[in-house]
Amino acid sequence: MTTEAARRLEVHNVTKTFGGTKVLSGLSLVVDAGEIHGLVGENGSGKSTLVKILTGYHTCNSDAVIAVDGRRVGVPVRWEEVHAAGVSVVHQDLGLIDHLSVAENIGVGGYQTSSFLRKINWRSQNAVAASALARVHSGARPTALVASLSASQRAEVAIARALRDHLPGSGLIILDEATRSLSRDELARFHTTLRLVVDQGTSVLLVSHNLEEVLSLTDHVTVLRDGVVVGSALTTREVTEQEVARRMLGRDVATLAQRPTAPQSMPMVAVRGLAGDAVRSVDLTVGKGEVLGITGLPGSGFESIPYLLAAARPARAGSIQIDGDTIDLATASVRRCTGAGIALVPERRERDGLAFDLSLRDNLSLPMLGAKGRWWFVSKRWQQINAEQAGERFGIQPKDPNLLIRQFSGGNQQKALMAKWLSVGPKLLILHEPTQAVDVGARQDILRQIHSVADTGVSILLVSVETMDLAEACDRVLVYSGSGTLDEIKTNDPDEILDLVYSRSVAS
Amino acid sequence: MTIHDHNTQFEDVTVQPGAVDAVSDGLPEVASTTVPPTLRRRLSAGTATGARSIASKYALLVVWAAMALFFYIALPSTFGRVATLQSIFGSQEVLVFLGIAALTTLSVGEFDLSIASIMGIAATTVPVLVTLHHWNVALACVVAIVACLACGALNAFFVVKVGVSSLVVTLGTGTLLIGVAEFISSSSQVSISNAAFSKLSLFSILGLPISFYYGLVLVAAFAYMSSWTPLGRHMLFVGANREVARLAGIRVNRVRTGSYLVASVIAGIGGILLVSSTGGFDASGSAGYLLPALAAVFLGTAVVQPGQFNPIGTLIGIYFLETGIFGLELFGYSGWVQDVFYGAGLVVAVAVATIVRNRASTG
Repeated sequence: MTTEAARRLEVHNVTKTFGGTKVLSGLSLVVDAGEIHGLVGENGSGKSTLVKILTGYHTCNSDAVIAVDGRRVGVPVRWEEVHAAGVSVVHQDLGLIDHLSVAENIGVGGYQTSSFLRKINWRSQNAVAASALARVHSGARPTALVASLSASQRAEVAIARALRDHLPGSGLIILDEATRSLSRDELARFHTTLRLVVDQGTSVLLVSHNLEEVLSLTDHVTVLRDGVVVGSALTTREVTEQEVARRMLGRDVATLAQRPTAPQSMPMVAVRGLAGDAVRSVDLTVGKGEVLGITGLPGSGFESIPYLLAAARPARAGSIQIDGDTIDLATASVRRCTGAGIALVPERRERDGLAFDLSLRDNLSLPMLGAKGRWWFVSKRWQQINAEQAGERFGIQPKDPNLLIRQFSGGNQQKALMAKWLSVGPKLLILHEPTQAVDVGARQDILRQIHSVADTGVSILLVSVETMDLAEACDRVLVYSGSGTLDEIKTNDPDEILDLVYSRSVAS
Repeated sequence: MTIHDHNTQFEDVTVQPGAVDAVSDGLPEVASTTVPPTLRRRLSAGTATGARSIASKYALLVVWAAMALFFYIALPSTFGRVATLQSIFGSQEVLVFLGIAALTTLSVGEFDLSIASIMGIAATTVPVLVTLHHWNVALACVVAIVACLACGALNAFFVVKVGVSSLVVTLGTGTLLIGVAEFISSSSQVSISNAAFSKLSLFSILGLPISFYYGLVLVAAFAYMSSWTPLGRHMLFVGANREVARLAGIRVNRVRTGSYLVASVIAGIGGILLVSSTGGFDASGSAGYLLPALAAVFLGTAVVQPGQFNPIGTLIGIYFLETGIFGLELFGYSGWVQDVFYGAGLVVAVAVATIVRNRASTG
């Protein structure tokens, strides 16, 4: 191990209790200078609570020890003190404000002001921004609007902001699920920039649910389960993904059973000439009980396909034939499509998928209110039964249909979202990024459900950039290229899909 | 059982979903996600927690009772009479109608600040047509309701069709309609004397005017509609997350338009009851009805279904406020006390309910 002096952050004996329940007990964490340290755990394992304690949002036990660069800070933590000692945070999804300039985004919370009138001194503000940007070798201009930046520049700005107040080579940046919504492209650039910063001597604490990212990027990784450290500063090079996952879950991650190749059943769903948004003329068929994947380069336009097919966005042209019923997508309504048996599980569950302030039961009942109820009466009884059954089938925890969606973890929310649409008994289930921001255990549950639903004869369209999911869950995968063509691939190797994605995009 | 409800519900109304994160981040979500299910069940079954949750649901009722008891002890000769009950419960029907009208739009996530002015249109149209133009009363009432419906359609056109913020549109139409009402009444108090028409609201049943029962029926109907019909459940989702509702095949814009139309008709009926019971109306007084109605609706989110707009809560809110004001007036405070009590009552009651609930959920 390294010497005392080289330890950037030391945390010992942190315990946190909410309402009589220990969410962290006797937790320790050591981050060395100049390393990227991963902190992983399932949703609810306590990693975000720890971050909130480190940033002074939550209080903690007074006999906890927290030290930055060997100097103890007072507990409970005051943010001003740890920030001055060198800790900064990059927020979820980078936390940039699009309609402000780069300099404003970098300066927020520490604007350079004139001594008289406290007016913001834009010249020195821009200089501060420029010097922070220089440290991440960014070409972004301080006066540019963040909205106008490329993906990689946005990542650079977010890191530059975290570096602003620290001397080069010092400080600790906490990334709290900062990369959750970044595309593959953005993610790669983000990682390059992080490496650059760490090579200067700054430390990074990467809090993430994404094991793949953590294992490819970090030097050491600490694993939490139920508020207890179950793997302390493991050397990343020496552990496998399975091993970390096992520690996180406390059990082995069952690999998804291979599905027998479905016999070419008669097509249940046929899409003809679909056009809308950036999509130009797409034709495809999905068999009964088939899981068809669609992928492509992020931003190439294939992301619109699920919404066009469900009439959630207006199509310019195209039709979908489903079980003998033909719908003209240029004029159809969402209602028409759901009525025909098309169910859409959208990508952003908080924005488009579930009403977070309503209960699980209410959310699960929504698509069935019309069918199960009369216009003058809906019983609560079937709603309760339906919610309990769905909870059972998907293993939604906690098992209380009266809890608000907001009170469930991300993985359980995603299960609820799938359950909501499966309960209507769809003929075509369209899933957009169904494993986004869920942990390993929930991901497996969801993929397994996809298979068991397909086995009942439902056609499934899985639209995703996660090649791992596609390779594991799909019978066939269609790769969309910018020019609008779809190339078919049947494989269990995610890299093959990825290769095809990139080769097609280069060709087009 | 709920944690964040209040703030987020209000947030939802003014801002579109998505802005909710900021609020929710500030609350102890972890407590609910990390507690093992078995433990959770035990916690919620625990008597202390259960009692707390009931306390938080009905705290307003307790305060109401305490307040009534206080007035009763302090002023046994004036407050402690049947006439007091009659005054409190027999005088608020207009606010009940306005409260439900406000609830109709608030529960789908829209503001309607013009309901009081729409009520004023109805309350002006009827006496003007009957007294100045010698129309038949029934016909005048029909015309008044149609006029209100037109006002609702105007709101719906700008908010739903054109997409202007509901706050801006209804603030504008609300002011505009007061002007219109003053114009048709030539800026003076208009009155109507028609025995049958005043019976419509003042006919006495069990010592209370019939309009009190109209209010009860309206509240009951709205409560039934919102929890037991598909329409009501759909409205809940349109209010909670419009995009989720749309993707579930709900015709969101139709629901929003409908809520403006229904709200204006309910407000119009309230206006008719108002002139029927008082026999006259001064159009410039409309604006004074808006705040009490809204205050009662928001106050109502502290009871029955904490954190959600609900009609029974609204009803309780109305009579709670009236009890306080009536008692204070018996003490000799008048005029200003009404505004002070409406304002302070709203803020204090909702704040206390929020604190109690947050306690209950974090232990």
